[in-house]
Amino acid sequence: KAPDLSSVNKVSNVFEDVEFCVMTGTGKYSKSELESRIAECGGSVVQNPGPDTYCVIVGAENVRVKNIIASNKYDVVRAEWLLQCFQTKMLVPWQPAFMVHMSPDTKEHFAREYDRYGDSYTADTDVAQLKEVFSRMKGNKVMPLDMIAELEERYSWNSCQLSIFRGNTIYVDCYAIVNEPRTKIHGTTLSIRALELRFYGAKVVSYLDEGVSHVVVGEDHSRVKEMKALRRTFGKKFKIVSELWVTQSVEEGVPKNENQYLI
Amino acid sequence: MEKTLNRIHPVSNPEETYFLQVSWEKDLGTGFGIILSDGQCAWTGKVSEAEISREAADMEMNREKYVEELKNALIAGEESTGKYDFVISRDEENVECHFSYEKNLKDGSFRLGSLKLQKVLSPAEVVKELIGYCLDRLGRLQAKNEHLQKENERLFSDWRDVEKRLEKCVEAKEELEADLYNRFILVLNEKKAKIRNLQKLLNEAKESEGDG
Repeated sequence: KAPDLSSVNKVSNVFEDVEFCVMTGTGKYSKSELESRIAECGGSVVQNPGPDTYCVIVGAENVRVKNIIASNKYDVVRAEWLLQCFQTKMLVPWQPAFMVHMSPDTKEHFAREYDRYGDSYTADTDVAQLKEVFSRMKGNKVMPLDMIAELEERYSWNSCQLSIFRGNTIYVDCYAIVNEPRTKIHGTTLSIRALELRFYGAKVVSYLDEGVSHVVVGEDHSRVKEMKALRRTFGKKFKIVSELWVTQSVEEGVPKNENQYLI
Repeated sequence: MEKTLNRIHPVSNPEETYFLQVSWEKDLGTGFGIILSDGQCAWTGKVSEAEISREAADMEMNREKYVEELKNALIAGEESTGKYDFVISRDEENVECHFSYEKNLKDGSFRLGSLKLQKVLSPAEVVKELIGYCLDRLGRLQAKNEHLQKENERLFSDWRDVEKRLEKCVEAKEELEADLYNRFILVLNEKKAKIRNLQKLLNEAKESEGDG
């Protein structure tokens, strides 16, 4: 049912000759509120989109909205855009963040300006915008640590204090029997060291396999002999260092040379 | 008032056991009292601050060092066994008892101090007091032990809790980092794809220019 907008006082001409179809309201503004404010700005409102409708305004998504999207004929825009127009008394340009759905024409236009995640090809971004772009990316594939290490090296971020141990694969000697994760010794400082190593970028493993770069040991040296024997069978040798290597590297914010911590 | 109770064995007869209680105010150097008992008889005596000073002077020893020796001899207990000798000599009627303490050296020993102890008329009272002292001390130690054990359990459970929380923080940091990098890469690659596309268009334009 169309609202009676004949008694509305016009406050601006921002939407002069522009036809809207408001589907739903937001939590703060009802559908009819949005409609009367469009009328105040000189726009017209229809209840079903037609060939002259500029765009469909959506506050909350529902079945009708989904059908409109499925028809792929109209630009479906968030009510936030409308609110920004009211606020600035201007026709705010559409940005990817405002778009719930784009008609094929609009999509093509956007594709020239923005990538598929809504980041502009030409305009600089900032923290807020990038956050917004990131938040709209769906599906979070998690990047493995070694890829992060490569990336950091590529962009010279590897001097970052949070990446002291990046690229290292480390076995912490906190298992009563080597390579038996079930025999973990609890409540020792070594388990804290393991967490520190991870926090500062290392890959901490629970098996002492070929490919491990460091073994960190605490006060208990009873398994060192066994680990050294294991090392002789490896092609790529790991370094056995005391946990001081970890604490002092963290304290100074740079990876310390292992040689003074060798066991 | 502070007290210690130790078991000592006289050099003359190491099989024999005496109980030696030393009591003092604040510091041994300001004088101390002695109660010695073999379980049946008891003797008591006092060493004044002046006597301590005199002994130290007689031995030409620094006073502080002398007091340190006294502490080791009379109140240190187990850890100083063998390093100090005790000489106990009693008369026939057990009225007087001569008590002296000596430091054991490689070549003989030297006397740190000696005093005449007076017989206590009611040794049972003394023995009672000594046992009472032991029981009080035992009670206090037990209470302290319990307290420390509880404290230790609390610390251990706090530690585990903090460790778990730290682990959560580390996991969250790792996940956040991996996720942000992943998003960063996707956006970055979009830009690179655009650059490739523009390069392609540029090359095509150049080619068509060449054709024309």
